[in-house]
Amino acid sequence: MVLIDTKELWKTFEMGTVQVHALQGITLGIEKGEYVAIMGPSGSGKSTLMNLIGCLDTPTSGQYYLNDKQVSTLTDDELAYIRNKEIGFVFQTFNLLPRATALHNVELPLVYSGKNKVQREQMAKKALDQVDLADRMTHRPNELSGGQRQRVAIARALVNEPSLILADEPTGNLDSKTSLEIMDLLDRLHQTGNTIIVVTHDHEVAQFADRVYHIRDGMIEREEIIDKTGTTTSETRQ
Amino acid sequence: MIFWEVFKMSAMALNANRLRGFLTLLGVIIGVTSVITIISALEGLSQSIRSELEALGPSTFIVTKFGIIRSEEEFLKAIKRRPLKYEHMEAIEEGCDLCQKVAVASHYRVETKHGTEKLRRVLVEGASAGIIDIVDTEVDQGRYFAAEEEHSRSRVAFIGYNIREELYPGVDPIGKWIKLNNIKYRIIGVAKEKGSTFDDNSDRFVSIPYTTFVKDFAYRNMGLSIYVKAASVEVLPEAMDQARAILRAYRHVPYDKDDDFGIVTADAIMAVINDITKVIRFGLIGISSIALVVGGIIIMNIMMVSVTERTREIGIRKSVGARQRDILLQFLYESLMLSLGGGIIGIAIGVFLGDILIGLIEMDMSPSAFAITIGLIISTGTGLFFGIYPAMKAARLQPVKALGYE
Repeated sequence: MVLIDTKELWKTFEMGTVQVHALQGITLGIEKGEYVAIMGPSGSGKSTLMNLIGCLDTPTSGQYYLNDKQVSTLTDDELAYIRNKEIGFVFQTFNLLPRATALHNVELPLVYSGKNKVQREQMAKKALDQVDLADRMTHRPNELSGGQRQRVAIARALVNEPSLILADEPTGNLDSKTSLEIMDLLDRLHQTGNTIIVVTHDHEVAQFADRVYHIRDGMIEREEIIDKTGTTTSETRQ
Repeated sequence: MIFWEVFKMSAMALNANRLRGFLTLLGVIIGVTSVITIISALEGLSQSIRSELEALGPSTFIVTKFGIIRSEEEFLKAIKRRPLKYEHMEAIEEGCDLCQKVAVASHYRVETKHGTEKLRRVLVEGASAGIIDIVDTEVDQGRYFAAEEEHSRSRVAFIGYNIREELYPGVDPIGKWIKLNNIKYRIIGVAKEKGSTFDDNSDRFVSIPYTTFVKDFAYRNMGLSIYVKAASVEVLPEAMDQARAILRAYRHVPYDKDDDFGIVTADAIMAVINDITKVIRFGLIGISSIALVVGGIIIMNIMMVSVTERTREIGIRKSVGARQRDILLQFLYESLMLSLGGGIIGIAIGVFLGDILIGLIEMDMSPSAFAITIGLIISTGTGLFFGIYPAMKAARLQPVKALGYE
């Protein structure tokens, strides 16, 4: 079943008098339950693409269907609803609320979906348990290590049972050992049926995915199928 | 449900910045304090004027040469009128069947003496014995003079509270002599303390029978006032009409001319005083509102800073599904809490200061529900008015830009 379907996505920014085409006709499709990486050097447009897929922004032109729903024309508040129900974000800089406890941070999406306190606590505890942080619930972000913070962020992404977990350079601020832990965790979540998209410039991180889209200059340069047995096949487009 | 959650977030954010929050409150506190103090003081003032006027009962009216003067023009016209005389009172007494009691009073200022003590410019009132039934004067000691003493032109005096305190300290004045312009009067009674808003003279008077007053001070040929008590509050307007018709006929006022005398009631005096204090009220409230506007601008400024500081937080909230109105409410609650907090503190200080102020000028003070309501309304209004722009700015932030903000 197709989860994400984009057709000719363009995103153009006005930088003063100059027009910058960050995305130039991205067409891709992602199935439910897939683990996909979007790779590219900085300035390739991969973050812009992530923002569009994550419904944080809307394309200048083109169509984006999420769960067969056209989302490229939705209003701000409708996009907020989609972000709340369908998408869980994991950011490079964790983006946790500094004054709130781990539990409270994980509860945040549930607050905006109108769940009551009992439901919120129950769901947040379950999500923290899934990332092995059940014993750190009352800690604030500054009392947690980088890896633990990222796991809180992953718990927050999971908590509302979204269709899609979208991770933007999830290991960018972590050492290699912790990075591996986080990638294992994402892998585990993938095994339990979650759809995961990782945006990264790191080749090793991309290797955890089933499939990699290589982006350059706002276009898909090639699509790579990762064979976990060791061999990879690559298909170059255009 | 979500409103309460958003409210809790706002409370947490404020709690994290308590000192800043408090400093932000100061402007509103000062603004609300000054508005409340002024309202309380003015309320107290008109309260005490009202209680003074209550001495003149609700069914009483006074006919005077001047009436209530509202302009210089009116004064210049009134000053040319013929004075009111004793016979006018008699005419009303005879002709006005809705008038229950009629009395006269005339006033003059003299020097009083007792022994070596001397008081200047004491108010001497020559009044009908019956005036005690019309104007509420409470007797502290002794009695008021009687009708017989008026008929016999006795030199008896009923003195004000302050006269006793100043001329007869520690002495029982009843039966003692008091000298008015070197004429001796025997003191037969002392009035209870009245207290006054405007001058100390309401307790510095000497009341003597009108006939005696005419005998001793007649060379002044002073006019008099006619005090009338109507049969009841209900018939007061008709009684006034009757008295007016009688006076016009007696004084031969042509039908196409205005009255050549004035009629005063407690209500009419109160109306004039209210007119005057209304102007003062709005003027003072207007001035103190400037502090409130400054307070509002401080809140707005701090909220703008807060929105900028918390841009990333706004981005995070939006990325997990906060809608524009969730963010708007969160920041609006914050500015409302600030201004309402300031308002409540300001009301408390204002009521307290109002009490002190009123204590200083010796007035009764009623804790004013009106002042408190006004305080709450203006502080809420300030919070909403000055909070809406920063809150809208926060709500409209683009999630991508907000998340990327460092």
